[in-house]
Amino acid sequence: MPPVKTPSVLTENLSCPHPFLREKTSFVHAIEVHAAGKIRSAVIGVTVADPLARSLSCAIVTAEGMVLFEAEEMGGLLNVRRAMPPFDAEDFAGSMLADIKLLFFAPEGTIHKRGVLPDGKFVCRWKELEGDWVDVFGDCNEVIQIKRYSPCGSLKRHVIYDNLAGIYFQSIVLHAKETPTYSLYMTLIEAQSVRN
Amino acid sequence: MRVFPLYRHIGVISLLSLLVFPTGNAAFADSLEKLKKDAAQIQSIQASFIQSKHMKILAKPLLSEGVFYYQAPDSFRWEYLKPLKSIVLNHKGRTKRYIYSGGKMVEDKSGGVQTMKIVLDEITAWMKGRFDSNPSFQATFQEGTDIQITLTPVDKSMSGMIEKIVISLAKKEAAVKTVKIIESASDYTQIDFKNVITNRDIPETVFVEVQ
Repeated sequence: MPPVKTPSVLTENLSCPHPFLREKTSFVHAIEVHAAGKIRSAVIGVTVADPLARSLSCAIVTAEGMVLFEAEEMGGLLNVRRAMPPFDAEDFAGSMLADIKLLFFAPEGTIHKRGVLPDGKFVCRWKELEGDWVDVFGDCNEVIQIKRYSPCGSLKRHVIYDNLAGIYFQSIVLHAKETPTYSLYMTLIEAQSVRN
Repeated sequence: MRVFPLYRHIGVISLLSLLVFPTGNAAFADSLEKLKKDAAQIQSIQASFIQSKHMKILAKPLLSEGVFYYQAPDSFRWEYLKPLKSIVLNHKGRTKRYIYSGGKMVEDKSGGVQTMKIVLDEITAWMKGRFDSNPSFQATFQEGTDIQITLTPVDKSMSGMIEKIVISLAKKEAAVKTVKIIESASDYTQIDFKNVITNRDIPETVFVEVQ
């Protein structure tokens, strides 16, 4: 985990990058799943995420319309409604929802430090309640990145948000650095706010 | 080889479209024998389709568009154009599936391709009008304004995945209108067919080339 230096005069008043949702939103993404550098599958991801309640509903659907996986998490309780192989692996649901929360919800914790990374990017480093570190940093091209580190500083996830159109990023890439490594390339198909 | 029931059900979507088109040219059959007779006349089919996926968590249905081609005896192309591009080709006993990645179609080398062969065996049977031969479904016919064929799974492995499948056919035009795969009270997939053309020559490249 890189050190965070004290912000310069130019950056000390910058606000923290915030690629996260501010209201309940429904997304449909085309998702390419890559592992070992090769594409493994292409699916449609459906997500309804409420950042205030920190609740999620999600589904993985094939092009043919078959639902491979469907789950929701409300009040911290995970409910898997459907899980076809290989999505029925014991820890898949929890891991997938954790990834979705990383993408769309602000970290659950506090901002530990604001400053500058060695490459000069302004960063806000969060300390999550469960001990992970989350760096959120951006650049002048409206590309925002997240890096999640373990409590001891090893990189676990790297997220890149790109191509902002309106309030939604058209492209999100997630690289999982833990074994087994994988990457998700998400292209936005549609998004809309959800009124309760 | 382990065959996940999932792939069989994915294939059912394709199967159904092929099932109903062979019924297409005369006053609609009200018996299996009539359907079989009509099916024997079909040498090729091409059509476009719009697929709408309805799910409880979706505020509005997810729409997909595609085309499909069939050439007797067993050549087949089932292609989604958007929002997620994919193609299944079957020609001269070889089955391939392609998915879109990095600006081009790449072959899907997952196990789904092999299991598709099993599905295509069923397709062949259905193309010959033997859609009552699939022991996984019980078929019933209902004739009203439209003709409906309802397929109910008898295989318990499908429970929780497919509740039933309803195929609606326009009586006057003797052409399929919709195929509806019902998974639960709130979740279903509906495929609406249009621009159906039968017995027109289709270039062999359609079943070989992905572009």
